[in-house]
Amino acid sequence: MLTGAFEVIWYIAASFLISLFAIPFGLLTKGIDRKLAAHMQWRVGPPVWQPFWDVKKLFQKETIVPEDAISWLYNAAPILCLASTVTILLYIPLGPFPPILEGHGDVILILYLLTIPSLAMVAGGFASSSPFASVGAQREMVLMMSYEFPLAATVIALVWKISSLYPQEAAFSLTAFARHPIWNIMGPFGIVGAIVLLIVLLLVTTGEITKVPFDIAEAETEIAEGVFVEYSGRNLGLFYLADAVKTVVMSALIVAIFFPYNLSPLLTPNISIPSWGWAIVDFLFFLLKLEIVIFFCMTFIRVSVARFRVDQVVKVYWGYLTLASLLALILIALDVML
Amino acid sequence: MNLDFLTPYGFWNPILWLLVIFVALLVAYLIWLRGNSRYKKGTEQTKPFLSGYAPESKEAMMVSASNIYWGFTSTLKGYYNFLRKMHTGDIRDYLGWYVGIVAIMLILYILWGGA
Repeated sequence: MLTGAFEVIWYIAASFLISLFAIPFGLLTKGIDRKLAAHMQWRVGPPVWQPFWDVKKLFQKETIVPEDAISWLYNAAPILCLASTVTILLYIPLGPFPPILEGHGDVILILYLLTIPSLAMVAGGFASSSPFASVGAQREMVLMMSYEFPLAATVIALVWKISSLYPQEAAFSLTAFARHPIWNIMGPFGIVGAIVLLIVLLLVTTGEITKVPFDIAEAETEIAEGVFVEYSGRNLGLFYLADAVKTVVMSALIVAIFFPYNLSPLLTPNISIPSWGWAIVDFLFFLLKLEIVIFFCMTFIRVSVARFRVDQVVKVYWGYLTLASLLALILIALDVML
Repeated sequence: MNLDFLTPYGFWNPILWLLVIFVALLVAYLIWLRGNSRYKKGTEQTKPFLSGYAPESKEAMMVSASNIYWGFTSTLKGYYNFLRKMHTGDIRDYLGWYVGIVAIMLILYILWGGA
């Protein structure tokens, strides 16, 4: 157990290290997403490194601040957006590695922290003093209010099952999900409920990362990128990085809740390599799982369907997905009782 | 000293969160500093993008407070209309609701609550 000053130094170093991992990996993920989406549409698509060149280009361009903007808030919003997104990763297990802030924040905290990047985007949009950005910020708020309920219902249903079987566990801890993978503890009703909740969480993720069909806050063809219409240069570059990191965060959350499995327990009896070797294998397996989750909640959906209208987004989240998550909750309750 | 806030189920440490968000803000700020900070103040490029529409007053260009949740309120119109009807402005109605809800809660408490 770490103690005192060493613990503080470790957390500071870890915050730097997690940024070094999340930002490049998020950009690479964006590149893979664009490449796969292009192939699904019979296009060649850009190279997977394209997002890196996009960020480099943005940082070389002028950073225009509109004349009526609240400049300090306008400039602070992208910085807060990126920083708050990176910190969420400190509470999520990364494959074989437990959360860096294990025991210092649970899954309810993660749900709250997920609102900060969205609020930073809203603040930046309103601070832009642009009609398109104001509409985009308003839409981002509506989107945020819409997906919160199914997201919370998903987490609570699964936690309920864990706490009913293991009352001594801190059920809201993500390490409890890793110790007791939900597919191992569910009965037949629970399995069906968990599959419904997985689909709900995948669709909530699409909204969280503001991608088609839930990209109403940006909607290029209607409101010309909405929240980001006035943003350029390094400010837009930071929002771009925050979006990349948030994709990693959301997929890591899904993996931590639904697929917390490692390869090493399966392969250790047959293959003999040092423990650090297994850590690398398990971490690479974790990255593969992230990419698969991102493919289903981002790439596959966005090439398959068109953008919803604002009222349709609310109907999907507060209507269909809320009903689905409550149905799953009932199935899991039956699983607990029977 | 343990500064974690604990409930029977959840836990978090706000001091540690403040520490890591400070470091993350520093990292983001350092990245931001690497970018180009120049632009041409007071020129056409600092005017808001209006997509060809005629400029209006600042107030007219912003989403008004009454429309801030539009989309949400319009989709859940039935629910909001129901709530609006309950808000009659008559104190006797509000007291009636208050007494009724307290009575229901007491009955529930007597039936299932307590020891």
